[in-house]
Amino acid sequence: MPIVTINDQKFEFDSGETIIQVAERNGIDIPHYCWHPRLSVSGNCRMCLVEVEKMPKLVIACSTLAMDGMVVHVNSLKAIAGREHVMEFLLINHPLDCPICDEAGECKLQDYAYAHGTGESRFIEQKNQKPKRVKLGPYVMFDAERCIACSLCIRFSAEIAKEDQFTFVQRGDRVTIETFPGKEFDNPYSLNVVDICPVGALTNRDFRFKARVWDMSDTKSICPGCSRGCNIDIWVRNNEILRLTPRFNEAVNDYWMCDHGRINCFKFVNADDRIDSPMIKKAGTHVSSVGWDEAISKTVSTIKRFKSDEIAVIGSPFAIVEDNYLLAKFARQVLHTKNIDFIKHINPADQDDILIREDKTPNSLGAKLAGISPRNGGLNFEQIMEGIKGKKIRCLILIEDDVAAISQDFLDSLSNLDSFIVFATNNNKSTELADIIFPSATYAEKNGTFVNFQGRIQRIRPAVMTIDLDRSLDAMSLSRLDKFGTEFDRWGKARKINARSTWRIILQIANSFSMKFNYETSEDIFLEISQTIKEFDGLDYELIGELGIQLKSYQLVEEPILV
Amino acid sequence: MPLQILLKDIPNYHEIEVYRQHGGYHIFKKAVSKKPDEIIDEVKKSNLKGRGGACFPTGLKWSFMPKDNSMPKYLCINGDESEPGSFKDRQIFEYNPHQLIEGTLITAYAIGAQTCYIYIRGEYVKWIKLMQKALDDAYAQGFIGQRMKETFDCDFTTEIYIHKGAGAYICGEESALMNSIEGKRGYPRVKPPFPAQCGLWDYPTTINNVETITNVPEIIDKGGEWYANIGEPKHPGTLLFGVSGHINKPGVYELPTGTLLTDIIYKYAGGVPGNKKIKCVIPGGTSMPPIRGDQIEGLKMDAESLKAVGSAIGTGGIIVMDEDTDLVKVLARITKFYYHESCGQCTPCREGTGWMLRVLNRILDGKGTSKDLDLLIDIANNIEGHTICALGEAAAWPVKFTIQRFRDEFEARVGREIILPIANKVHSMRTTLEPLTDIQVG
Ligand SMILES: Cc1cc2nc3c(=O)[nH]c(=O)nc-3n(C[C@H](O)[C@H](O)[C@H](O)COP(=O)(O)O)c2cc1C
Ligand code: SF4
Ligand code: SF4
Ligand code: SF4
Repeated sequence: MPIVTINDQKFEFDSGETIIQVAERNGIDIPHYCWHPRLSVSGNCRMCLVEVEKMPKLVIACSTLAMDGMVVHVNSLKAIAGREHVMEFLLINHPLDCPICDEAGECKLQDYAYAHGTGESRFIEQKNQKPKRVKLGPYVMFDAERCIACSLCIRFSAEIAKEDQFTFVQRGDRVTIETFPGKEFDNPYSLNVVDICPVGALTNRDFRFKARVWDMSDTKSICPGCSRGCNIDIWVRNNEILRLTPRFNEAVNDYWMCDHGRINCFKFVNADDRIDSPMIKKAGTHVSSVGWDEAISKTVSTIKRFKSDEIAVIGSPFAIVEDNYLLAKFARQVLHTKNIDFIKHINPADQDDILIREDKTPNSLGAKLAGISPRNGGLNFEQIMEGIKGKKIRCLILIEDDVAAISQDFLDSLSNLDSFIVFATNNNKSTELADIIFPSATYAEKNGTFVNFQGRIQRIRPAVMTIDLDRSLDAMSLSRLDKFGTEFDRWGKARKINARSTWRIILQIANSFSMKFNYETSEDIFLEISQTIKEFDGLDYELIGELGIQLKSYQLVEEPILV
Repeated sequence: MPLQILLKDIPNYHEIEVYRQHGGYHIFKKAVSKKPDEIIDEVKKSNLKGRGGACFPTGLKWSFMPKDNSMPKYLCINGDESEPGSFKDRQIFEYNPHQLIEGTLITAYAIGAQTCYIYIRGEYVKWIKLMQKALDDAYAQGFIGQRMKETFDCDFTTEIYIHKGAGAYICGEESALMNSIEGKRGYPRVKPPFPAQCGLWDYPTTINNVETITNVPEIIDKGGEWYANIGEPKHPGTLLFGVSGHINKPGVYELPTGTLLTDIIYKYAGGVPGNKKIKCVIPGGTSMPPIRGDQIEGLKMDAESLKAVGSAIGTGGIIVMDEDTDLVKVLARITKFYYHESCGQCTPCREGTGWMLRVLNRILDGKGTSKDLDLLIDIANNIEGHTICALGEAAAWPVKFTIQRFRDEFEARVGREIILPIANKVHSMRTTLEPLTDIQVG
């Protein structure tokens, strides 16, 4: 193997690897703006200048191939000076509006100015002025003055999102970005450019001016938008989710996520239509809030009125493996019903060869593996709906889904039920018809697992407090404000929803039927799953870790993961 | 009459019939009777150096092309000619287009290019028309394209197209030129890979200047050795010197390399109007370092001699400035050109050109200080060697060398240093990676 020496350390490399790739692989940081491991090399920012012995000039590490015997100095005086000059050039025309810039705190220009700048400006001329608020598309806002012309956004669109929608115009320091005539920057992945833009030139119109980065906590989770299960960070300030960003996972979503996931998959958590306490329909009229105990005993007495084959249970591909497992166990051991299934949400028109999957739920596979299926002659979903229509099924328990929204026919049939028990996070068409409603915690308010379309099991974690969850006591991630915010700035007075993980509610109901289910946490359930269901054999939360793990005995879906 | 290789005193030589009467298109016939490698060797023997500015040995450049003829290969003839002070290639378009075409054919044969582009700057409307006429005539007579097989009784054919520039100096840089031909933004490419490995549409490509290629037929006709003996041995041949500025007979003069600069100015170009003294000469287009009037005595015009006085031959565009020239104004104007033409791709050139211009304009406004002169040199140094293409140097050199070589004149235009209240001054030069907090505020 050929060997390159970087900062006095020797590294083997494959031919074709650049200096920056070898360095990155071995944990040596070479400062850069315009280089990205997944995009073509443009070599324009010049920040990665390094000194190579026997070469007369500094070279850029991003495009210079490593060679056998090459000796590279990242931090020689000459290289430091080179970077210092690049920093000076980048800053002369930069507006330095950090105090009002969303990127501040996660800005490479700030970080590198601190690490590699001189701390002095010799520039006393008039700075360039350029447009500051340009809508490039539905989600992305462009500030031309902050742009350092690194071309990452343009390369991302052309090479990853595969849509040429905008480009540089003008020359020299007048260079700026415009969409092509008649085009908008509206591809399904547009917001990824906000993440890769090293500065605050591209901002998320959904997030701009909502929070300083350091005032938010970030929690590692999974996007519930489709069965890809993109790894994400949930960013929360004052118990409110303000944005989602993709989290690198080479096996699932690489560095990216789609705009649908980013924009549409957290607002329901903060929404006004959250179900905020258990509710019971009294005297055939409207539902009204009741305490947990009342709702649970009402549920028990209601269920007892029916024979087991008059009861059906609908699990959920939106709910975690643990919820579904306990629901299936409850149905079989307490209700003695075989009528168990879940609803599929497939949209074949909305799938691509990048990330987006036709299955619009995060956990279809997990629900199925957890036992949500009509075994031994039980009714499947369609048969359950038939049964309701023919009044054979008289009691329906539905978790985290909306049967009534599927068709008018279903909606009409549901009024045949004697009893309709719904677990839901938000109001929907089914809760409107329900006799008993339990408030379920959302994916952002609990621990648990999803199994994506590849058969990869991945963890979600609570990012938002509910009445039962405390940020410090439950070891949730903390922001600077969470740690140091005071009553004085009205910190910590945010709304907390009175909701529980679905499994916790089922547990309480089951034990009111004098079962002795004994689970303290979702992991307790998971450990039982790993002992009873072969696909999960030997797994625990720690093994699943931050990046998930492929279910071993599950037949791997043979599809290209990413192009 | 001095030796004429490129521009000949033959009436109507630009017409295909006249060119043919003087042996035109026979040299190509001679060329195809040899192997491509023999042609390359002959050009290597001639020691011909590129006339596009960098003096790169032409035969050597051709030998980088892969020998494999199964893939497309391209030849680009660079007639973008946008460097201020350069106006030589258009003389060839106007007065000797067929020798350029024949040179293109021979080069294409030597490197195995099936397609050739002659890239002409868009403002050369007249010359584009003239060149197109010459190409049409050569096509009509079967000297280019599929009919070459019968005309020259050979296996080789090639096509020649004209590609018009759209008004950007940067498209004369060879890799930006290729992007421009591909229909892309005129951005220079990061090298390596070099064009001979990965050029037009990622195929092997050679780029040569118009004047370079126009030399080729004569070299093949009379032999490399003959050519190598013309002018200065290390940089042989004749050059088209474009003389402009304060000069009585501005124009293009074909003279052997090594001709004295004073001969060019006084013997051929008629001297300086009003017999004024010469303050400054830019020897090879505005991007080349200027030389002082007191350096020109005995100075020979060839690559080596100019290097010795700290300049370069560039494109051979000589700009003469008399004693009354305002060099601050000249430098500001030159800098404005490179500021305007920087493609904006890489940081030092994009930001540095505008910065230098603004400082120079401030000096012109009488608001400069001597510290600004050092700052300008510093900015130039920080651009130089740190950019994607040589426009960085083209912008930096005039600033750096004009100020260094005419410091007195610049000093006379600036005031004493004013101390500006810069509150955030911490230190002036980073020499460690320690955080700023550890560095004493002075
Ligand atoms: C900014 C810039 C502009 C250039 N413009 C021209 C030009 O107009 N004509 C030209 O022949 N070469 C120009 N060059 C040089 C070309 O890149 C290239 O070196 C040359 O065409 C090679 O031809 P030669 O080997 O025959 O000299 C330019 C280079 C730079 C960096
Ligand atoms: S992009 Fe970075 S440096 Fe520029 S204003 Fe925003 S935070 Fe400040
Ligand atoms: S907008 Fe951001 S990503 Fe795009 S070129 Fe400018 S700095 Fe780079
Ligand atoms: S040096 Fe100037 S012209 Fe050349 S690539 Fe960089 S910005 Fe463009």
